[in-house]
Amino acid sequence: MTDTLLQSIITGVLMGFVYALIAVGLSIIYGVMNVVNFAHGDFVMLSMYLSYMAGTLLVWDAVATPLITVPLLFLFGFITYYLLIDKTLRQLYVVQLAVTVGLQIFLRSLALIVWKAQPRALQYSIIQGNIEFFGYSILTSRLIAAVVSLIFIAAIAYFLNKTWAGAAIRAASDDLDTASLMGVNYHRTYALTFAIGAALTAIAGGLLMSFQQTDPQGGMRFGVLSWCVMALAGLGSLPGLIAAGVIVGVAEAVAVTFFDPRSRLLAIYMIFILVLWLKPRGLFGRK
Amino acid sequence: MENHQPLLKAVDLTVDFGSLRAVNHMNLEVQRGELVGLIGPNGAGKTTAFNALTGLIMPNEGKVFFKGHDVTHMLPHKRCQMGMSRTFQVIRPFVHLTVEDAVRVGAYNRHGERTVKSKVDQVLEMCELGEMRNRVCADLGLATLRRIELARALATEPELLLLDEAGAGLNETELAGFMKLLHRLNEEEHITLLVVEHVMKMVMGVCRRIIVLDSGEVIAEGTPEQISANPRVIEAYLGKRAVL
Repeated sequence: MTDTLLQSIITGVLMGFVYALIAVGLSIIYGVMNVVNFAHGDFVMLSMYLSYMAGTLLVWDAVATPLITVPLLFLFGFITYYLLIDKTLRQLYVVQLAVTVGLQIFLRSLALIVWKAQPRALQYSIIQGNIEFFGYSILTSRLIAAVVSLIFIAAIAYFLNKTWAGAAIRAASDDLDTASLMGVNYHRTYALTFAIGAALTAIAGGLLMSFQQTDPQGGMRFGVLSWCVMALAGLGSLPGLIAAGVIVGVAEAVAVTFFDPRSRLLAIYMIFILVLWLKPRGLFGRK
Repeated sequence: MENHQPLLKAVDLTVDFGSLRAVNHMNLEVQRGELVGLIGPNGAGKTTAFNALTGLIMPNEGKVFFKGHDVTHMLPHKRCQMGMSRTFQVIRPFVHLTVEDAVRVGAYNRHGERTVKSKVDQVLEMCELGEMRNRVCADLGLATLRRIELARALATEPELLLLDEAGAGLNETELAGFMKLLHRLNEEEHITLLVVEHVMKMVMGVCRRIIVLDSGEVIAEGTPEQISANPRVIEAYLGKRAVL
């Protein structure tokens, strides 16, 4: 019993880092431009399909596919910003909602048409087998996914704190007009933010494809996950996002192991509602 | 060619807020190297004029020229790249950024990663913010935040700097230091300054030319001595009775 529990907790923690990486994208988009991207989970789904395509056509390993999917999703995010999001910025909140939910429906339908309803998975991976960890066995691909996710979260932290574009993004997030008067081009900053948010889902998508399958409805799961992680973390804290990702990952893993595999979203939402009751501003948020 | 034109020129600038005319056919010229004061009673339209000059709001009529170019509809970040910067009357700090990062945002206007650090250091030193560089803006007091606003604007290396009541809320000592800094910016750094100010002592002590705005219109223009003796100005500030 305790063994099974610890085993599922370890699995949950590892998944939590990947969830945190997905939520980082959602969170910086929301933090900077006040847009909740309801299609964010479907970006992950799209990334997974593109990884599947790249992996199948080029016979690449899933974890290598981000080399192709990251530029694709970056471009996709950039174009989506200029074609859709940019037009909603000074509109009613409900317009933003309609646009990003519309994008979600569009991506799901597109996936259904192109890849049909059955789940797709990559056949093999160079990264095989398990690693023993204090007597518990961990799927190597999950461990790699967790480590790579953490590396990219750290890279985002470095980017935001140390580079020109990162400073512009943080300044625009605090006060757009003032940043603009200091020479920050806000259209470009917003487009860059959205594109980075999308590109991060491509990294997560490649990692996930090394041990999971994808289907057109998968976006739902990742969307719910990332909203909950963001809400749990509160705004503006990368360590908070990591912790919240781990909480959600563990809740999911424990529910799947001990209750029912179909209860994963339920478990996540119950944690979310619990936090809403007890700490409505999130566990780690600022302000 | 550029040098013969005024650095900043507003022609017939008009801004309406619904039925209220905040700025009414304002004409204004600032020459390179000047230190000009823009004064007027509360609600005269000074801040609105600033917003229209810097591109935060679009005027309903009229044009703004900067270095001879029509910038009326140019976005603020492009004006900043051309060499225009400003501070705010109601301070608008980047609350989650450190002092150093706030200044760095401005410094990137003309510097890449390689030279940005030395620019930031230079501006922090000039504005006496060196010791606070790692403090987060949200934790700092008004006087310091005003200096940060100035530092942030200076870091963009402007040719024209518009200061909106940068002296408000400062005590005597702080004000004296601030006036000295303005002189230094104007004379040593060759930055042209247009300052909106309520603190009369500061305007009279610093500016060589003063423009007086009332109800959105320019009602007088001249040296500090001329302005303080001008009956229209006294009337605008104190009301008709006091003059009679």
